Amino acid sequence: MSIINNALTGAHAAQIALDTTSQNIANVMTPGYTRQGTLMVSQRATQAGQISPGDGVKVPSLIRFSDDYKNLQRWQAASELSQRSIPQPYLTQLEQVMGDDTSSINSGLDGFFGALNAASVEPTSMPLRQQVITSARALAQRFNNLNEVLSNQQTSISRQRASTVEQVNSVSQAVADLNDDIGIAQATGTNASALIDARDQKIDELASLVGVQVVDQPDGSRSVSLRDGQPLVVGGRASTLSIVTGPAGSQTLQLSFASESFTITSNRLGGQLGGLNDFERDVLSPLRQSVADMASEVADKVNTQFSAGYSLSGATPTPPPPDGPLFQFDSSGSTGVLSVPDGVLPADLAFSSDATKPGNSDNLLAVIALKGQPISVASLGSVLMGDANTQLIGRVAMQSQQNQASLATAETVRNQAEESWKSTSGVNKDEEAVSLMQYQQMYQANLKVIAVANQLFDSTLAMMAG
Amino acid sequence: MRVASTQYHTTMNSALQDASFRLEHVMQQMASGLRIQVPSDDPVTSVRIERLKREEAALDQYQSNIGALRSRLQQNEALLDGSVRDILQARDLMVWAADGGNTSQDVDAMANALAALRDSLFYTANSVDQEGRYIFSGTATATPTITHDPLAASGARYTATGNGDAQNVVVGNGVTQAANTTLAEMAPLLNALDQAIDTLHVPGVSVNDPLVRPVLTAALDGLDTALDDINTKIATIGGAQNMLDTLQDNHANVSLSNQQAMVTLGQLDYGAAAVQLNGYTTAVQATQKAYAKVSALSLFDLI
Repeated sequence: MSIINNALTGAHAAQIALDTTSQNIANVMTPGYTRQGTLMVSQRATQAGQISPGDGVKVPSLIRFSDDYKNLQRWQAASELSQRSIPQPYLTQLEQVMGDDTSSINSGLDGFFGALNAASVEPTSMPLRQQVITSARALAQRFNNLNEVLSNQQTSISRQRASTVEQVNSVSQAVADLNDDIGIAQATGTNASALIDARDQKIDELASLVGVQVVDQPDGSRSVSLRDGQPLVVGGRASTLSIVTGPAGSQTLQLSFASESFTITSNRLGGQLGGLNDFERDVLSPLRQSVADMASEVADKVNTQFSAGYSLSGATPTPPPPDGPLFQFDSSGSTGVLSVPDGVLPADLAFSSDATKPGNSDNLLAVIALKGQPISVASLGSVLMGDANTQLIGRVAMQSQQNQASLATAETVRNQAEESWKSTSGVNKDEEAVSLMQYQQMYQANLKVIAVANQLFDSTLAMMAG
Repeated sequence: MRVASTQYHTTMNSALQDASFRLEHVMQQMASGLRIQVPSDDPVTSVRIERLKREEAALDQYQSNIGALRSRLQQNEALLDGSVRDILQARDLMVWAADGGNTSQDVDAMANALAALRDSLFYTANSVDQEGRYIFSGTATATPTITHDPLAASGARYTATGNGDAQNVVVGNGVTQAANTTLAEMAPLLNALDQAIDTLHVPGVSVNDPLVRPVLTAALDGLDTALDDINTKIATIGGAQNMLDTLQDNHANVSLSNQQAMVTLGQLDYGAAAVQLNGYTTAVQATQKAYAKVSALSLFDLI
């Protein structure tokens, strides 16, 4: 009487399938959950003879609906997305600060040259001369403000890099631990699906911190390395990423695995770390240099021209360039790059080109003409003094625009990768509802078979009793 | 393709986020009236606008310089007008004094009146501005235009100590205009006048004396020459003001066209923006409705 046994295996298999379905339904909203299915195979007959149909059904394992290729796509997309999204707030801030109508260097230059122009109306007038000094201070202040925004961004990037590195270390360790756990689970015959999901989620997290390559190992573990091949996780061991701070405050990444350590010089790190590096290398550092160059050139040209003239009293103004007579430039200044010392007095401004003619304004006119003269600024080359900042804004605007376009693409790619991953691994409620009904029917049918077998048995007994 | 249940939510979320981002952008544009919110919205156009702003700032300064220059020129003109009146009065007196019928007492009295006019001309030539700088000394603004030495010989007591240089004011890109008038020529006149006054003061002087007459003639000639000179200067100031008018018109025209360009480049086209706003709103509403329909579909309702 294999009929009862067969029906029992059927009912049992249906129960497992219903369990699996319920697990899928329970996790319909769980991020990263990979749906499972029930693998059923028919049991071959153990009794001898051609007329034995078989020994029912068995469930050797559950199926994990997972596609590694889609996982890899998802991780790549995560790296690309965070590489583009990390620098965008910095870029937007730069644009807004530099493009602001009232606080930009441009309006500072307008004010300074406006005051010089106004002074040409009465070159000997103290109020007009005072206005030149005041507007020179305002111009210096604007340079200092922008410089401060840039150094704040630098500080913020360094901190963000440090905290990202810490996260990389802790997530790498988590992946390594999960590798171990999965190995143990598989060795003891436990379903490791939830652990594998957790590990994939951790790798996804890691990929958004830094670009990774993931290789499956035969023992079920996953090895994770940086794009250039330096190992982050090998089996149950994770490496440690650290930051080496150089004398000028520059940061270098170092990776230690076991007793070896590598200095990472890659320009294609990817992820948040890559995004921070890109922004620092391509935008922030050149921009800081450009702004410092502009401040230095403005100070130098204005100082040199002023020192060629004579003050109201006919004296050659002091101190001589580069420390005066008007601007002081200090590239490493803690309080700012540009300043106008308090000792500069209106009468000291050298508007005259003749010591005996205080009302002469030839030197003043020469200072005014500086606005249309070229200065040399890093990453712009030779540009007119009055146009340099406009060109810098244009440059940042284009970098920001480019990043925004890449970011939009990365978002689309990531969404698409998520969707594609979900189309394999995500739960569909209707599908599960169908399974629920099918397996319920299967269960009921098998119980019915047992009932029928029971009736058959009863009939046999009744016959014997009769 | 198989679609996971959560994909509907994700799609809905990202659609709503996109729509809110666009709506917010259009609303910011509408609130500010500016098409370009940050330079990266249109880098090339924002560079153009920045350059126009720089030019506008310079034009504003030129216009304000022209205004200040105009009042300086008017002040010069008013002072010169005063000198012209003094010279005409002195000339009348001198012509009268040269009349042979005058007694020495008559000319002595006239000499007193002439002395007052001489001093007035002297003071006018040495006018200072509010900060004590000499207006007519050219660029030697710390030095008096005319220096008076009472101890020197008659006819050499006045010396021109200023210079004839122009103070140039910037009134356009690379365009300058002299803002000052110089009065170095006043020294010969004052010396001639001073000598005539001294001569007329001599008791019993006769204007018919062959030694006296050349002194009076020289003073009269000096007055005529100075009158011509100063009238020429006044005419030059008038010419400069006309030139400033033209320049001011030019600046105004350039500024107008700059502003128009800025409007064309930077202002929002409200019509287009309103159409966009409608489009985005409709898209959001349609997405919401579609989501509500799709998410209401569930096989579980029927079990």
